Amino acid sequence: MQHSRIIELNKENKDVFTLKFDSSMAASPGQFIMIWAPGGKEIPMSLSNTSYPPTITFRTFGETTKTIAKLKVGDRFFYRGPYGNSYPVPTGRVAYVAGGTGLASVNAMVLKYGGDVYVGARTKEDLFLLRNDFKIATDDGSAGFKGTVIDLFLPHVNDYDYIFVCGPEPMVKTMLDRIDRKIKAKVYISLERLMKCGVGICDSCSINGVRVCKDGTVFSMEEVLSLSEFGVYKRNEAGKIEFFVNGKR
Amino acid sequence: MASISTKIGSFSLENPVILASGILDETSGSILRALKSGAGAAVTKSIGTDERKGYQTPVISEIGTGLLNAVGLSNPGVDNFVEEYRNFPEKKKTIVSIFGGKVEEFVSLAKKVERIGFDKVELNLSCPHVKGVGSEVGQDLGMVEEIISEIRGKTNLQIWAKLTPNVTDLISLAKASEKADAYVLINTLRATGVEIYSRKFVLSNTVGGYSGPGIKPVALRAVYDVYKETGKDIIGVGGIASWQDAIEFFLLGAKAIQVGTAILYEDYPIFNKINSGIRDYLDKEGFSKLDDIVGVMVVDATFKNH
Repeated sequence: MQHSRIIELNKENKDVFTLKFDSSMAASPGQFIMIWAPGGKEIPMSLSNTSYPPTITFRTFGETTKTIAKLKVGDRFFYRGPYGNSYPVPTGRVAYVAGGTGLASVNAMVLKYGGDVYVGARTKEDLFLLRNDFKIATDDGSAGFKGTVIDLFLPHVNDYDYIFVCGPEPMVKTMLDRIDRKIKAKVYISLERLMKCGVGICDSCSINGVRVCKDGTVFSMEEVLSLSEFGVYKRNEAGKIEFFVNGKR
Repeated sequence: MASISTKIGSFSLENPVILASGILDETSGSILRALKSGAGAAVTKSIGTDERKGYQTPVISEIGTGLLNAVGLSNPGVDNFVEEYRNFPEKKKTIVSIFGGKVEEFVSLAKKVERIGFDKVELNLSCPHVKGVGSEVGQDLGMVEEIISEIRGKTNLQIWAKLTPNVTDLISLAKASEKADAYVLINTLRATGVEIYSRKFVLSNTVGGYSGPGIKPVALRAVYDVYKETGKDIIGVGGIASWQDAIEFFLLGAKAIQVGTAILYEDYPIFNKINSGIRDYLDKEGFSKLDDIVGVMVVDATFKNH
């Protein structure tokens, strides 16, 4: 377990925070750390900036994130990592497609390489880390395009050479079901699964024997398409198979 | 080229390197991957009667000499396990690890996995960090003996008994388990870890099991002691991370070995790496087969049976 001092802790919106910490870790966009609230749980978190000083951007949805959101500048922040692989370095025209807090992961790429960012959220209030040139979709139309980020993005899919995707598994599944699989762009996807160890030994995040934490989290579209379990079922903390809604086939 | 095939009871393995229970063996996809990566066989994560989430994270902590874990026997429960593995293609190379708190529970689990075509079980008599099961059962000699003879009487399964090293008298425990086809030695050592800046325990459960390179000497001693006394088939496990480690276990009587924590360091290539190292060693040292070195350092193995 490592720890660093907190340099900044900003509230992005009603429940999303960005924490900047004083670490000189060598990390690349796409990598994650396991963050720990001492005495509480440890959870995986994407780095939303991998240059010094690194940041994480998180929604306060559970005990750990709520505890960490209450820390103060100067407090110790506990974590281990960075873990996982990273996004490849893009060339040509680049697009990012992010759903929910998936933006945190691609944000590290946006900061480093730039490109067009397509962001989806439920409502205007759920958006964060926005910049003027981001293309926005909200489910209720309270900001930007009314609909999903997939609907917003797909008409432009042929404009790009590299496409980076991060979001909830059903969102990614929808995109893969609808995208033209012969497009010229190289598509890379960062996957999200329940993780316990973060280092590739506990088998909690495995999909068809492929570990999201160690073999990923970033996979090519072709790799993801080869995983028959992807988008169909996930596993709970006991390792029991749980089908996604509409996932059974 | 020397042969590295081996035999545990009546089970013939192409090679002696087995995936240990608890590491990358909960999902069927990962077991297949280990077998495709060169493991001679694989043991599943321990399966119990009911679905168990295990402990909350942190469930692992890396230390300089290995790994602390208290995953807490998370498993989907035997009925969900049976559902997932019903059509699993590698049942003969896969040993199902089972755990329970009562004799009847072990028997019922054993029958359920036998019914879908598995023919080997490893009895988890040794998990050091869950109340009422694992090593708590595994230290009760009468119960261990009964579990094994009941499974023996009521199924046709081959039985591997994974024993706890957390006892003062391992020999008595081994003798209580002598109706098993093989001993698996050892499980993790009961241990804990401290984070000094938060002044908290590193595992949510406080106490867990210690595995990895640091426990190898303890595992070697256990294999040596038990082999010397019983001469039975032994599968050595504990801190094996290289072919040299594996050879040490063979020389003291192990006929096969299991690898777990070392996957953290070497990942899946470790299976082929250890196998080719063993083969090279046998060739260079002038042995034609693995069996020629098994137990050669244990001159007084009472019942040397091969």
